[in-house]
Amino acid sequence: MLDFLTRTRGRRRLDWTDWLTFGYLAFGLVLMFGPVLWLVLSSFKTEGALTEFPPSLLPTGPRLVAVAGEDKPKPLYRVTMPDGTVRELAELSRIGLMANMADPAKPEEIVRVPVDKREPVREFGLATENYTDLGGKFEFGTYLWNSVFITVIATLITLLFNSMAAFALSKYRFSGSKVVFLLILSTLMVPPTIVLVPNFLVVSELGLLNSLWGVIWPAVATPTGVFLLRQYMLTLPDELLEAARMDHASEWRIYWRIVLPLTAPALAVLAIFSVMWRWNDFLWPLVVLSRSEKFTLQLALNAFQGDLVTQWNYLLAMTVLTLLPITVVFAFLQKYITQGIASAGVK
Amino acid sequence: MATLQLRQVVKEFDATRVIHGVDLAVADGEFVVFVGPSGCGKSTLLRMICGLEHVTSGDIMIDGAKVNHVSAADRGLAMVFQSYALYPHMTVRQNMSFGLENIGTARAEIESKVSAAAKLLRLDTLLDRRPTQLSGGQRQRVAIGRAIVREPRIFLFDEPLSNLDAELRVSMRSEITSLHERLKATMVYVTHDQVEAMTMADKIVVLRAGRVEQVGAPLDLYNKPADKFVAGFIGSPQMNFVPVSVASVDGDDICLRLPGGGTVVVSRPGAAVTPGTALVLGVRPEHLRVTEGGPGTMPMRVEQVEHLGAHSLLYGLVADVDGARATAHVEGQTAVRAGAAVAVALPPAACHLFAADEVGLAI
Repeated sequence: MLDFLTRTRGRRRLDWTDWLTFGYLAFGLVLMFGPVLWLVLSSFKTEGALTEFPPSLLPTGPRLVAVAGEDKPKPLYRVTMPDGTVRELAELSRIGLMANMADPAKPEEIVRVPVDKREPVREFGLATENYTDLGGKFEFGTYLWNSVFITVIATLITLLFNSMAAFALSKYRFSGSKVVFLLILSTLMVPPTIVLVPNFLVVSELGLLNSLWGVIWPAVATPTGVFLLRQYMLTLPDELLEAARMDHASEWRIYWRIVLPLTAPALAVLAIFSVMWRWNDFLWPLVVLSRSEKFTLQLALNAFQGDLVTQWNYLLAMTVLTLLPITVVFAFLQKYITQGIASAGVK
Repeated sequence: MATLQLRQVVKEFDATRVIHGVDLAVADGEFVVFVGPSGCGKSTLLRMICGLEHVTSGDIMIDGAKVNHVSAADRGLAMVFQSYALYPHMTVRQNMSFGLENIGTARAEIESKVSAAAKLLRLDTLLDRRPTQLSGGQRQRVAIGRAIVREPRIFLFDEPLSNLDAELRVSMRSEITSLHERLKATMVYVTHDQVEAMTMADKIVVLRAGRVEQVGAPLDLYNKPADKFVAGFIGSPQMNFVPVSVASVDGDDICLRLPGGGTVVVSRPGAAVTPGTALVLGVRPEHLRVTEGGPGTMPMRVEQVEHLGAHSLLYGLVADVDGARATAHVEGQTAVRAGAAVAVALPPAACHLFAADEVGLAI
């Protein structure tokens, strides 16, 4: 692995193409992973540290000290006194450009200091309460459950319906099979935003508004899935089905016992896509779900950005948690994902 | 155990007729081989018998009952496919028991039937393997085992040996033959290999372009081919065909002028030929004798010699007539070299005569 990563074009010294290659790769790495890394680090910052300017990369914040006579711990500063000496004082209050400060050891002696004569004392600290508070303060558990429910159920139904359609379209010869297939494929050309309103009306008439099923049902029949599975099933030899037919297998049994297990690689690809689509879905849930107890994580993230106040620390923590499942799926199943992209041309 | 009968069976694919009215009767316990070049419709015929293809017209009868509209599963037949069609995700045991599970056979019964079939085919130690972990010959045996456990009325084989190497093919050939001896079941076997047909069949059905050319026991087909096609198809190396013309007719005896000027007299009672009629004379390589020359011989220029040890094959051109190629089978190891001019004698009893329409003039 290390050998591979440190491979160079020049034998002993670095060739100029090596500099170029590694430079380009490093640039790409920073460009792509920088924001994610910053997001993760920032999610461990306290609310105060987040609003600081200039922003910092690492989750550091002013060191807080307890001052006798004060309810809350106060931030500590390194102050350059008029006589040139440097003292560490806690800020009690601030008025305009002057701050009332005191030595934590001698709180009764108040020192007035101009704000440009002091430096905050910083320390590294993970604000894990951003995460631990999520469960209690907000209905994070509910949002997570809604997202998981929609993702899992919709994926299962997607696999079942799409594979049944693909089975019929790939293995049965009936008049009009091509027309049906083309009709299914042609829906790929209709942008989802166009059918948003008609879909909404249908879901509304069915009384599925503010129900998780209202998010699930319109999403389960995907032309991409039918196409992907059909193309795969075409490669299964017909002789297998004929052998099964000679073996007294009913059509359902052929589908369930022969075709489905053999389509497993394509099903895995579709399952991954479906999980990614449903988990990241935003627009359709936004339209269907308006009550906060039905929100998915994506909707909750959106709702977190208030008109006046946004609790960035919680928002960032929740964003990280929302990213995690997809990242894990991608990391472990990327082989299948590339396979799927290669075989069906979908992303 | 069953009989099979085909009556004027016709198959059309989108108005293209591929089977032109086939009549055939297969007796109980018979081993019938359909043989013919690729595209002759032999596999289509087999698929119609087993119910995987619809019959356009005509009847298929099993044990005297018409089964045209009976589904493949309910005909009580078992098929061994060319590609074996083993379920790749199941073990050998699951492959063999799948059919029995589907008809709701009891667990214990499935177990005993599968192990009996496995023992018969020497698959006992392989039952928990998957098809991908088996060799070609083993897969072949599993496919046969899957057919056996269902105790079908008729076994159907669709070119089952064509994916095996030559050595394995010979041993599987005798294995299937001995299986037929033991099971005494009716079997229909499709192949394009005439050697398989000759060695295994009780009865051979030669097909060409959707028509039955000739039906008969292997040696009957070899000795009395009905037409030039069957004569050329059965036997290896292929029968020699040389253009001849009728020199004179004396009662039943026909005197034929051979390329190169020689003559040979063959007896064909009742043959409607007159002097000057052009015929094709067929003679098998093993019946040609290499001689010094003389009245009943043709000159042959040897172009290639194949030494096979026990016998040798001489390939050459007869009397320098283009299109009159001949092969002579010589016992032992010949001293004749490529480029030599020899003469070949045609024993009159071994000569076959075919008219211009390729139909044989019966002996």
